[in-house]
Amino acid sequence: MKIGGLSFALGAVFFLFVGGIYYFVSGDEIGTTALVMTGGLAFLVAFYVLYTNKRLDGLPEDRANAEIDEADPEYGFYSPHSWWPLPVGFAAMLIALGFIFGAWLVVLGVSVLMIAVIGWLFEYYRGAFAR
Amino acid sequence: MTILNDPVAAPTASPAPKQVRRGHLGRTVVKWVTSTDHKTIGYLYLITSFVWFILAGAMALVIRAELATPGMQFVSLEQYNQLFTMHGTIMLFLFATPLYVGFGNVIMPLQIGSPDVAFPRLNMLGYWLFFFGGFTILLSFFTPGGAASFGWFAYQPLSNAVNSPEVGADLWLLGLAMGGLGTILGAVNFITTIFCMRCPGMTMFRMPIFTWTIFITSVLVLVAFPILAAALLMAFIDRQFGAVVFDAENGGAILWQHLFWFFGHPEVYILALPFFGIASEIIPVFSRKPIFGYKGLVFATMAIGALSVAVWAHHMYVTGSVYLPFFALMTMLIAVPTGVKFFNWIGTMWRGSVSFETPMLYTMGFLVTFLFGGLTGIILSAPPLDFHVSDSYFVVAHFHYVVFGTVVFLMFAGLYFWWPKMTGRMLNEKLGHVQFWMVFIGFQVTFLVQHWLGVQGMPRRYGDYLASDGFTTLNTVSSIGSILVGLSTLVFIWNVLWTWKNAPKVTVDDPWGWGGSLEWATSCPPPRHNFTSLPRIRSERPAFDLHHPELAEHQPSGATQVTSGSAT
Repeated sequence: MKIGGLSFALGAVFFLFVGGIYYFVSGDEIGTTALVMTGGLAFLVAFYVLYTNKRLDGLPEDRANAEIDEADPEYGFYSPHSWWPLPVGFAAMLIALGFIFGAWLVVLGVSVLMIAVIGWLFEYYRGAFAR
Repeated sequence: MTILNDPVAAPTASPAPKQVRRGHLGRTVVKWVTSTDHKTIGYLYLITSFVWFILAGAMALVIRAELATPGMQFVSLEQYNQLFTMHGTIMLFLFATPLYVGFGNVIMPLQIGSPDVAFPRLNMLGYWLFFFGGFTILLSFFTPGGAASFGWFAYQPLSNAVNSPEVGADLWLLGLAMGGLGTILGAVNFITTIFCMRCPGMTMFRMPIFTWTIFITSVLVLVAFPILAAALLMAFIDRQFGAVVFDAENGGAILWQHLFWFFGHPEVYILALPFFGIASEIIPVFSRKPIFGYKGLVFATMAIGALSVAVWAHHMYVTGSVYLPFFALMTMLIAVPTGVKFFNWIGTMWRGSVSFETPMLYTMGFLVTFLFGGLTGIILSAPPLDFHVSDSYFVVAHFHYVVFGTVVFLMFAGLYFWWPKMTGRMLNEKLGHVQFWMVFIGFQVTFLVQHWLGVQGMPRRYGDYLASDGFTTLNTVSSIGSILVGLSTLVFIWNVLWTWKNAPKVTVDDPWGWGGSLEWATSCPPPRHNFTSLPRIRSERPAFDLHHPELAEHQPSGATQVTSGSAT
């Protein structure tokens, strides 16, 4: 994770540096804002990743001599299949069309979205997959 | 872990294999639309984007047919505007960008030895947003005013409510915003997967170059797409609710161009970088050599990614309100890391044992075509030269050399290369060669002459020209070439259908024989969570070390296959 965080940090430094130069030579507010904000956001990610990395000691995927069986045997939970992404995506389209064709579609879309998001969130807390 | 693998039915009682019932269509559809498997989602992305490729390609053929001779033969000028707008929109947003997500989804987790991506359901949501976003845009063709017709970069004030009152423009804006959201979700997913789910020993600097390019590309997506979404939604609010963000009186025209190209230029590299990664995967395999200058390639990719954020206004030279020297310098700087990449690719082939199977052939086609597009790019980066050919067919030729050269050539390279991994069957080599030469010759005939058209002064986006302009001959040549490109797609589809029925099953992990990255260390196609066992990772070519232990760089004791607990 260190290399990944450092790549974001390098990006942050580059964008802020170039943003400064750009403002100095051109005085253009739009581009400067975009570059500086990009740098700031890259800094945010870099800080989080490097900070998290500091509190972990030597992940096996970051050590050159790690063996495969050093990986955590409890790898994580993976949704085997799920219906819920489909209605969430569909609701997004309904809402988008609603903003163009009429508010009633927005109401319909938001209703579908709420049901779908609730279904998504609680999919693995009830029924056969409860855990 | 949960119920991950489909239960394997082992018919112990009946010696003869049970008669295979012809596919349960409904069950297959349900399996695909509810899938959370990164490979299936990747296939969905690849298939859907290929369908868009065919649609937008058909639009391009109509455009070329219209331009073949002076006069309006097939479509009206308004329809022509819709055609080139939707051709550009679809090719960039609904074909090339999802193609990166598709290849990334199928290949990247395999290459880092991960059982899936970090957020499987989010991954599927990304696909559905792309699907329904594309559907929304498709709907615009069936509205009274037709589809959007203001060009794919939707310059203000042309695309505002006064000048483009059609509902198709609204559908265009929101459809793209949805698709963009899907791409952002995909990028977040990729970055998290690459950071947190590499298998032990797979350090960042042992990742295959393709995975590196997916990582850098995803970072660029995070930089670029939120700005696009913001700009699109503001333009939509301007249109629907009467906001004045992009009003000409407030300098809105230039504001839009800045925002759009701050997205638009990284977008070009979002399209290019993953495909550079595909080239970097293919060249070592068919040169029988490790990639030359691995770290150089990684840093070149990073440099391209970083620089691409700071060059956006070279699309705006002719507005007269950008600081030219800054953007000219930055743009020319990008040529340096790109040159490093070419150097590395050629260095990989240098004194290698090169063979020209279809994937390698396509990669060669890419090298030639993209190099040419890169060179015209340097011409265009110089403002004095750009002023003369801006918005002419020279620019059209330039970006087709760049984008077609990378995306289409390397899409076919990647499909031929990874087809056995994805389907368990090899595509036919003969048909592949035939198709390559059709694409290559057809493409060069179509677009090489457009450089001269541009220099002679033919502007882009015009539906018609006069016989006295002297553009007729070159336009006819260009249109003839485009037919060849169109036909080549049929050859590919024929190849897919034919091999589906007739090609033998691939039984080995690595049908090409010299594959380096981890996807060649699992079966073709891989099981549900990718690996039944993982080799020990000691170099950036773990599969090569596994299959050719006598040549492995760091001789591990016996190079034994270490069974993993992670994917069972």
